[in-house]
Amino acid sequence: MAGVSGAAIEIRDLSKYFVPRRGVMVEAIRRISLSVAAGEFLAIVGPSGCGKSTLLHLVVGLEQPSSGTVRIGGAVPEELVRQHRLGMAFQDSALLPWLSLQANLALPFKLAGRDINRERVQSLIDLVGLAGFERSRPSQLSGGMRQRAAIARSLCLEPDVLVLDEPFGALDAVTRRRLNIELERIWRDNAITTLLVTHSVEEALFLSDRIIVMESPGAIAQELQVPFPRPRTPDLLRREEFHRLADQITLWLEP
Amino acid sequence: MERRRNQSVVNAAYTILGLGIFLGLWQWAGKSGAAGPDLPPLSDVFATLRDPETLPLLLFSAKYTLVSAAKGLFFGGTLAIFLAAVMHLLPPLRPGLDRLAVLVNATPPIAIGPILIVVFSRSQTPAALAGIQVFFIFYVAATSGLAAASPSLRRVLAGFGANEWKRMLYLEIPAALPQLASGLKASIAASFLGAILGEWFGAPQGLGLMILNAMQNFQIRLMWAAVVSAAAMSLTAFLAAALLEKFVSRRFAT
Repeated sequence: MAGVSGAAIEIRDLSKYFVPRRGVMVEAIRRISLSVAAGEFLAIVGPSGCGKSTLLHLVVGLEQPSSGTVRIGGAVPEELVRQHRLGMAFQDSALLPWLSLQANLALPFKLAGRDINRERVQSLIDLVGLAGFERSRPSQLSGGMRQRAAIARSLCLEPDVLVLDEPFGALDAVTRRRLNIELERIWRDNAITTLLVTHSVEEALFLSDRIIVMESPGAIAQELQVPFPRPRTPDLLRREEFHRLADQITLWLEP
Repeated sequence: MERRRNQSVVNAAYTILGLGIFLGLWQWAGKSGAAGPDLPPLSDVFATLRDPETLPLLLFSAKYTLVSAAKGLFFGGTLAIFLAAVMHLLPPLRPGLDRLAVLVNATPPIAIGPILIVVFSRSQTPAALAGIQVFFIFYVAATSGLAAASPSLRRVLAGFGANEWKRMLYLEIPAALPQLASGLKASIAASFLGAILGEWFGAPQGLGLMILNAMQNFQIRLMWAAVVSAAAMSLTAFLAAALLEKFVSRRFAT
C-alpha cells in the first residue's frame, strides 16, 4: 500500500450566498467549519440542493466564498489551481471529444506547460483498466469507461487533493458498484486527500474514512467515522454492519 | 447504416433528376425560342465553350475572377477570424465591432463599389468586394464558434489551471472548427458574387467583365458561356467546401 500523501484541508466559518435576482438572497453554505487530514478520504452526502456541490466548488476555487476561509496545505485554492496541484472529476466526464484517450490524458501536462510523461499516462491507463483503448475517441467508449478515463486524467499531475463530484452519478447501478470497487483499488495506489460528493450512501461507506451528512441549506448535520479497515473488499457490501450503518445514514438524510 | 445509405442514394437520384429536368427545360426553351432570343439552347452554349476562339479568353477571364474571389476569401476571412479572436479575449470591444460588422454587411455592395475603386484601384476592387461580402459571414461564424465549447469542458481546463491562451489553443479553437468550416461553405458563393460584381466597376479582365461586355455587344452565347463558367467554378468550390465541412464536423463535434 502506498504511503499517505496529499495536503490537509482547513475550512473555517465558510459561507456562500447567491443573489440570483435583485433583492433575493439564496444561502448555499451556512458557516461550515471542517478539517480534512492529509491522506483522508472524506465523503459528503446529503439531499439534493443541500449545497454539497457548492462546497466542493468552494474548495477547489471554482467559486469564491462570501465569508470564511478555505485553505489547502495552508494556501488558498486558487494558488493550488495555478500550480496545477488539484485533481477533479465531475459527473460529466468532459473528455475532449476530438482527442484520443491517450491525448486526453496527455492534455494536463500540456496545460501545465510540462513535458508529457508518457510512462505516467500509460501506467494510469493500465491502472484504470483501459489498456488497449489508448487510441479510442471518447465517443467510442462507454459511460463507465469515460468516467474511468476522467479519474485517470485527474491523477495525471500527481495532485495534492482529489475532488470527485458524483463521478458515477450518470451510470447504472451495476457499473457504479464495479467502479466503486475499482476506485477503492486505485485509491490504495494513490492515497491522497480525497473529497467525494455522492448521493449513494453505500458508495460513501465503501470508499471513505469519514462521512459528512449535510442538510439543506448548507450546514453539516452529522458526522460518522467509518469503522471498516482497509483494504475494503467487495464482501464488505454484504455484511450486516455495513447495511446497518447505511440504513442509519439514510435515516439521517430524511428531512 | 443501411437506411442511411439508401437515403443518400435516393437523394443523389433526386439531385440528378432535378438537374436533368432543369437542363432539359433550358435546352427545349432555347431550341424552341420560347424564352426569346436571349436564352440560347444549352447545346449552343457548350459549343461556344469549346470553340477554340473563345475558350482561351474564357479561361483567362475565369482565372482572374477565381484569383479575386480567392484573395477576397482569404483576406476577408483572416481579418474576420483575427478580429473575432481579439473580441473574444477583450469583451469590452465587442458591442462596437458587432455593430460595425452589421453596418458593413447591410450596405449594398453596389453602393460601396465607388469607395473601393478609390481605396483599392480598379483591378483590386473585385477582391476587396469579395472580401467585404465574406467578412461578416466569417465574423459571425468565428464569434459563435469560439463560444461553442461547453461549460463542463471549460470547467475541466479551469481546474487544471489553464490560462486563457491555453484554453483558446486547446479547447476553444478546436471547438470552433465546425462553425468555421460552415462559414467557409457559406462564404464561397458570396466571394464569387463579390468578385464578379466588383469587376463591373472597371476591372481590366474577368468573367464579370466578359458578361457585361458580351451583353452590351449582343453576343448572347458568349455571355451565357461566361455565366456557366462562373457558376461551374463557384459550384465546384462549394462542393469542396461542403466536403471539408462534413469531415471537420465529424472530427470536432462537441
